Amino acid sequence: MATTACFIIVSRNEIPIYEAEVGSAVKRQASVFEDKREDAAQLHQFILHAALDIVQDLAWTTSAMFLKAIDRFNDLVVSVYVTAGHTRLMLLHDSRNDDGIKSFFQEVHELYIKILLNPLYLPGSRITSSHFDTKVRALARKYL
Amino acid sequence: MVDPATTPLGKMLLDEITPVVMVLRTPLVEESCLKNGLSLVQTLSPFCNFTNIDVPVRTASDQPYRLHKFKLRLFYESDIRQPNLEVSKERLKQVIGQAGEKDFSELGSDPPQINNVVGRSESEILPSWFQIFNKELIHSVSFSDHEAFDHPVACLLVVSSKDEQPISKFVDLFNTNKLPSLLNDGAMDPKIMKHYLLVHDSQDGSSEKATKVLSEMRSTFGPNDCHLLCINSSHDGEIEHQDNPWDSYKSDASPSQRLGCFLNIDDFNEIKDLMQELSSKHIIPYMEQKIRLLNQQVSATRKGFRNQIKNLWWRKGKEDTLDSSNGPMYTFSSIESQIRMLGDYAFMLRDYELALSNYRLISTDYKLDKAWKRYAGVQEMMGLTYFMLDQSRKEAEYCMENAFSTYLKIGSSGQQNATRCGLWWVEMLRTRDQNKEAATVYFRICSEEPLHSAVMLEQASYCYLLSKPPMLHKYGFHLVLSGDRYKKCDQIKHAIRTYRSAVSVYKGTTWSHIKDHVHFHIGQWYAFLGMYDVAVAHMLEVLACSHQSKTTQELYLRDFLQIVQKTAKTFEVLKLQLPVINISSLKVFFEDHRTYASAAAASVRESLWSSLEEDIIPSLSTGRSNWLELQSKLISKQYKESNICVAGEPVKVNIEFKNPLQIPISLSSVTLICELSPRSDETNMDAGNSTIELQKEEELKSSTTMGDMSSEVSSFTLSEADVLLESGEAILVQLTVTPKVEGILKIVGVRWKLSGSVVGLYNFETNVVKKRIAKGRRGAKSSPSNDLKFLVIESLPKLEGFIRHIPERAYAGDLQHLILELRNPSEFSVKNLKIKVSHPRFLCVGKQDELMKEFPACLEKKTVAEQSGALGNSSKRPHALFLFPEDITVQGNAPLLWPLWFRAAVPGNISLLITIYYEMGNMSSVIKYRTLRMRYNMQVLPSLNVAYQISPCPSRLRQFLVRMDILNQTSSESFQVHQLSAVGHQWEISLLQPFDVIFPSKSLFTGQALSCFFILKNQGKSLTSKDKSSSLSLPLLESDVNLQASNDRLFDISSSPLADFHCCERSQGVSSQDDPNTVDFILISWLPKTDGVSDSRLFSHHACYCSILSTSPITWLIDGPRTTHHNFNASFCQINLRMTLHNSSDTVASVRVNTFDSSSSSGQSSGATTTQASVPSGNQSGWHEVRALTEIKVTSSIPRNEVGKSPSLGSVFPYIWSGSSATSVRLEPKSTAEILLEICVFSPGTYDLSNYSLNWNLLGVNDQGNEEEGTKQSSGTCYGYPYFLTVLESA
Repeated sequence: MATTACFIIVSRNEIPIYEAEVGSAVKRQASVFEDKREDAAQLHQFILHAALDIVQDLAWTTSAMFLKAIDRFNDLVVSVYVTAGHTRLMLLHDSRNDDGIKSFFQEVHELYIKILLNPLYLPGSRITSSHFDTKVRALARKYL
Repeated sequence: MVDPATTPLGKMLLDEITPVVMVLRTPLVEESCLKNGLSLVQTLSPFCNFTNIDVPVRTASDQPYRLHKFKLRLFYESDIRQPNLEVSKERLKQVIGQAGEKDFSELGSDPPQINNVVGRSESEILPSWFQIFNKELIHSVSFSDHEAFDHPVACLLVVSSKDEQPISKFVDLFNTNKLPSLLNDGAMDPKIMKHYLLVHDSQDGSSEKATKVLSEMRSTFGPNDCHLLCINSSHDGEIEHQDNPWDSYKSDASPSQRLGCFLNIDDFNEIKDLMQELSSKHIIPYMEQKIRLLNQQVSATRKGFRNQIKNLWWRKGKEDTLDSSNGPMYTFSSIESQIRMLGDYAFMLRDYELALSNYRLISTDYKLDKAWKRYAGVQEMMGLTYFMLDQSRKEAEYCMENAFSTYLKIGSSGQQNATRCGLWWVEMLRTRDQNKEAATVYFRICSEEPLHSAVMLEQASYCYLLSKPPMLHKYGFHLVLSGDRYKKCDQIKHAIRTYRSAVSVYKGTTWSHIKDHVHFHIGQWYAFLGMYDVAVAHMLEVLACSHQSKTTQELYLRDFLQIVQKTAKTFEVLKLQLPVINISSLKVFFEDHRTYASAAAASVRESLWSSLEEDIIPSLSTGRSNWLELQSKLISKQYKESNICVAGEPVKVNIEFKNPLQIPISLSSVTLICELSPRSDETNMDAGNSTIELQKEEELKSSTTMGDMSSEVSSFTLSEADVLLESGEAILVQLTVTPKVEGILKIVGVRWKLSGSVVGLYNFETNVVKKRIAKGRRGAKSSPSNDLKFLVIESLPKLEGFIRHIPERAYAGDLQHLILELRNPSEFSVKNLKIKVSHPRFLCVGKQDELMKEFPACLEKKTVAEQSGALGNSSKRPHALFLFPEDITVQGNAPLLWPLWFRAAVPGNISLLITIYYEMGNMSSVIKYRTLRMRYNMQVLPSLNVAYQISPCPSRLRQFLVRMDILNQTSSESFQVHQLSAVGHQWEISLLQPFDVIFPSKSLFTGQALSCFFILKNQGKSLTSKDKSSSLSLPLLESDVNLQASNDRLFDISSSPLADFHCCERSQGVSSQDDPNTVDFILISWLPKTDGVSDSRLFSHHACYCSILSTSPITWLIDGPRTTHHNFNASFCQINLRMTLHNSSDTVASVRVNTFDSSSSSGQSSGATTTQASVPSGNQSGWHEVRALTEIKVTSSIPRNEVGKSPSLGSVFPYIWSGSSATSVRLEPKSTAEILLEICVFSPGTYDLSNYSLNWNLLGVNDQGNEEEGTKQSSGTCYGYPYFLTVLESA
């Protein structure tokens, strides 16, 4: 079990629509800011947000959805999966486990599609389904 | 491709990697120079940069080339050593600090738009002090022993003409113990080129002595190496230099001092000539010579195949012995140092090819020797050389990367070299527009030292910004990283500067943590600098941080409030995010002609009220026309649509505040913001006055918007509320505004004070999108803004009312006597009162004389005389509408009391709506009438479940057996049943058994069920609808049964209110037609007082339309002997039966009696007309099977299979119907007929004579087309019920 940090779904207009801290968040990374525990969350957001630049560049260069690890900050790595609608599934993690991450992304993508199929869900709005949340966390435990 | 030399890096290299000249001087020389405010090196340095020389150079190759630009670096001998780390750090800090101060002026302003930033050119974006900083950083590693380009090429010895014995001074100057360690420890050749300079200060006298010394020098040191320099030729010190070359040396301490003021133009030129000669005639040729010499040596020892093999072998052998981290110590005489020197000299003379070949040569050696620092240095130079040659970018980058990582590998000592290498690398990348890569290199330069890394990160962020396309996310992130590091080194101004830029990147972001972090920190820092206004503006952004943890929320709020307190003023914030205002919860309650007794009444939908009031208020059209008539006089058209409220009566606004945080927040002084302007329509017509009036209005407005409630001019009063919101709590706050004068009232918004320090304002008008005004929509055409605008009219009487002691919870059937109390506080009277109740089943209005009556005694049965008088009322249906007597007015303090009867009719939650209409006593008002609306919610619990089952008495006509089942459904109460009454005069009811016998305990406890039986007799024998009116005159029958043993008085069910409620109950039923075949029951029960406090309660349970007919209008009775004796030996037995038929319907019925034997086993149609006498039947007796098929219209032709199945084959049927198989009878309405039947019995036994059927047909139904009858069956078939006959063999 890796100490995976943070999973986030970003809509095409760069709005985070789902956030989850999966795995045990890495404490020592927090030392980049003042060493406070809760700063980890915002550091993760910063790293993932910054990685959007690179996603933008890479997304058009490949037809694959899984972009692998595209960015890193110290020893945190950002892996990204871009859906056809340019919704970005981003995972911040610290261990290399490409296969697991790929499967994780694919399954989350399926879950996301199910969310999209819900006629009451407005694409691009926040995903509040608790069912989705539990499923994602279960997948994270399974693959990461 | 641009010439590498013109790029920033090229310029930097041409600046930095140049020959160093060591300057040795006597104190007197320095003294002379300081007269100009300059040191000797400072005086000379501006002239060491030659941009326009033309010197032919020939290095290793035979082909000469020309140098056009050249530069010398002059240093005192004391400066030629590795700079102290601490000192350089201090200097860097100073540079940064100064820059921070300089840039700070603009920090108070708003951050720039990110779009504007992107378009700007590089020079606009990058702060200029980065250059200075980077230079300082590079200088911090100069004069290291592993690089030859910082080693002095020549030595300039300077002696003043004032010095005693100048010649010996020259010798003394080059004294080894003063010389830098580089020369002493063998890192470089101590035998360097020397040049002798004699300085003559013209102020000290003529130059004669100086020339004498010069000639002496020339004879001693050689004629070419000696020079004389005359300075300070100007005596008055007034020389002004245009483009003063020493400008850069201006110190901040004495900015007024004019540098070089004693140097006139001759001195100027002399210095210039001196330096030019020094470089072109001495240094360059010396270097050329040295290069050639070294090249020869290198070629001899290292070039060629043989030397290479030898070298390789030799080095391999050496490898084992030398394993120190820095590799072997190389003296200047070692071949490695010489190669390095050769390379550096060639680089300085711009023979890059030569330099590169030598660097390559030496780098492998160093690598093999594991002299990593030297290796890295050579790699670095290789990279730079590749760059200057402008070839093979890959190679260049590879070299730089290699050098950088090697420097890092050797630990802390290489850190600064790595920084320098990185900076060069970055410049190289940026020259080639590889900003993204440059940024990563900057990121890698970041060291432990936070200040360095802060600057590096900031530069990295700018690289991201400058890259194409701009990478704004990265830009923002690195700015934030850099800002945090600045903060760590207390460079708050820099921190703010970076965060300010970051704010512009993250503006409007939905990444909540990012937004909070940036705004919170920048807010804190601004507060730290005392710029509280800006700080508060930023802190406001983070207040609604519901996603953060509780501690963070506390921290944010605490810091925010601290900052606000420090500002020592009250902020009025238009968009305060705490608490969240739920604008969709906004509801305005106001009273025009509709007034409300309670908030509960006001929350009922208007449509419910208007439907309720439909028939009591004057009709809409006339009301409207009157309305318009009056309005048109008073109000201009634009206010026709606005709402009306009355002066002195509060307008209530409900608004919901929600606390998004997990910590409680306190709000105080929550008030509405209102404007009340006196009506200005009249004045508008008069143009002359309008301006004055308008001014007044403006004044008034300004005073009211300030919310100054205490001032006398205020024409309305506002309520104030204090709220404490717990975590996540939402509270609905009711605020009121009470206008005092007529005019136009506008509700603008709401204001509140957060934690006693910050005032939040919320403007309703700005968010009108989803506003829902509960009351007073005047149709779709009214705009939402008008909903908050009220026309205030003069004060009117307003009725206040309530019902005393109305229960909130009651058991079903509970009957109570209530009192309605109405008050009118104003002095004007109101009249023409009407009241209407939404649920007359629950509430009915009593008569005035009932007010004082004692309950429930007033319900008890009176004497016969009284009763007959009361009967007249009972037939009247009560109406939901009740008109008060004309003469009743309500005025002043005397309340009007009126009795009401309440009965909890059905279980459930009931919302009772009561509206009271009244008219004003004075008719001058705009509003002529008003309504008071009351609403009471109550919960009715089930109490007794009463069910009646009526079945006709088989033995007697028109007598019925009533079975009453009572179940106590309450959870705690026990009831006493008191009385059962059958409503109507034709019914007589009596107990089958004494009640004491069946129910001795008298109380029905929780969950207990009780069944008892009654006999119900219909006495109205020939009562037709025609005779109904006369029924009153008939003698009264015992329609009530006392179920109590005691002789309590019975209640009179035919008087108000029981009769009224019963009527209501009846009207709930399906058919309102008085069907004589139905009966209504009223059960009256008690809930005895359990404690002394509450009264015993009376309950009435009504059951309506209990049908006495189970199947058809035809009832019949078979009459005959039950037991007979017969001698079957003689003959079969013939028995006569009599069937009595009764038609209880209103029409003529034709009845046909069909008798049939069980004959259908043959499959033959058992048409009732055929008698199947021949079919034998077994000796079974008493079979019957009758299905309840009453609702199906069965004609006689349909085979009755049920009947035919039962007989077994071969059995003899024990009896047959004899006589006619079908008899038709015509029955007049409500009449009785008799027919005779006969059976023959063949053997003794007990027989069930149920195998006959009655087909009845109501005649004349279709002819009359009676609608009520149409719903009923017009014909049907009844099957016989068991009649047991026992036939015995007689003796």
